[in-house]
Order: sequence, then C-alpha cells, then structure tokens
Amino acid sequence: MIRTALFYFLSAATLFSAYFVVTARNLFRCTIGLISLLLGIAGMYLLIDAQFLSAVQISVYIGGVTVLIVYVILLVADVTQKSFRQGARWRKISVGILAFLLFLLLLTAVGSFDFSSTGKLPPRSASAAEIGRALVSPQRGGYVLAFEIISLVLIAAIVGAITIARSGDAGREANERPS
Amino acid sequence: MNGPTLGHFLAFSALLFSVGVYGLLTRRNLIGVLMSVEIILNAAALNFVAFHHFRFGGDVAGAVFPLFIIAVAAAEAAVILAILIALFRHKQNLDVDGADSLKH
Repeated sequence: MIRTALFYFLSAATLFSAYFVVTARNLFRCTIGLISLLLGIAGMYLLIDAQFLSAVQISVYIGGVTVLIVYVILLVADVTQKSFRQGARWRKISVGILAFLLFLLLLTAVGSFDFSSTGKLPPRSASAAEIGRALVSPQRGGYVLAFEIISLVLIAAIVGAITIARSGDAGREANERPS
Repeated sequence: MNGPTLGHFLAFSALLFSVGVYGLLTRRNLIGVLMSVEIILNAAALNFVAFHHFRFGGDVAGAVFPLFIIAVAAAEAAVILAILIALFRHKQNLDVDGADSLKH
C-alpha cells in the first residue's frame, strides 16, 4: 500500500519535472528540472529493489551528464531569451496533440498484450553481485564482450569530444601566428 | 504484497516518453533537444528494469541493458555538447533551424 502511494508521488513529481524540462524558457531551470526528473527515476528504481541501478543513475547522470550540461550552458552563455526563440503556437498545439495520440497508442499497445504469458516468476530484482558477475563473465549469459566494447565507445567518444571542442582554438592560433 | 504492478510502470514510462517526444519536437534550442532525448532514454531504461523485476524474476539482462543505455547516453551527451561548443563558435547561437549546414 505504501509502495503504491510512493509510486504515485514519485511519478507525479517526475512528470511535473519532465513538463518543466520541456517548457521552461531559462536553460538553467530546465537543468534543475532534469536533475529532479533523474532523481525521480532513481527513486523508481529503488522502489523495485534495483539499488545498484539507482546508484549508477545518480552518479553517472546527475554527477556526470548534468554537470557537463551546466558547464556547456555557462560556456555558450545563452541562458536568457537572446536568440532563444520559442516555437509557434500552432506548432506547440499540433505537437501536443501528436504526443497525446502517441501516448494513447502506446497505452493501447501495452494494454492489449497479455504479459502474464511471458513469465510467471515471483517479482524480485537482480542483486549488485549478480550484475557484477554477469558483466565480466565470458560464459553463456555473460556480457564481457559488450562491457569491453562499451569502454572502447566511451574512450572514442571522449577523444572525439576533445578533438571537436578544441579544433576551433587550434585553427585560430594558427591563423593569428603569422601576424 | 500490494505494491505497484507492471502496468503502473508501463503507463508511467509511456507518458514520460510522450513528454520527451513533445520536447524533442517543440524545443528550439539544441541543449533543450538533448535534454528531451535524455528523458526518452530514461523512459526506455525504466521499462527494462520493470520487466526484469515483475516478469523475469531478476534476470540480469534486464539490469545490464539499462547500464549500457546509461553509458551510451553519457558518451552521446559528451559528443553532442562538444559539437554544440564548436557550433556556437561559428553561429553564435544554438537554434535548431540555424544548424542546417555542414560547412561554415
């Protein structure tokens, strides 16, 4: 009973922050909304006993991605309405109707499928030890190859990000040197 | 136990997904578009975790895939934000309609 109440509270808070993220005009307020949304999702993970995922969500998303977003907002210094054009009203209304239809479609698709046929195991979540063992296990049911590939992807992404973000400076210095 | 069911989580994540799509299509600023994409990815990851908890008795696949989603989302955010910094140098703003040319 208390879990259901917590679920409704968390979903209301998360949806309110999601609405805030997609409508607020000030980008800093959007980021605050995004942080509270990610906290709400982390709370949802806790509600279904996925403590490890909840911790990863908080440390990677809130500690990493949102901090990165805040830095970029500060760097591009474009938080006010200057060059921050809002979409036309007809566009917002039509996209709102479209998103609502998409929600109804998803709801009917989910509601019409009988998920009880897919599995009848009692509800429980994988523990952190099980997840850790699966991540580095080369046996069947292990994910060591995907784990290694994702670390390569992260390295490539970080090197690429540094290269792209630095290239402007390098070009400018090369142009200024002759004068 | 009398807690929320799988249906609760599926309906919630469908709603969150729709809000993300709304933001993706109405936002005029590229950082706002990136945030909407993060909302959509979170809605998808929540579905994985809900299914692994309620239907598959804690099968690790349902907990490992959200981890990969989070890792790919972090890499994606790093690359997109670097591109935005480079774009801002050329255009002095981050409007979606202004970012339609590959050359400057």
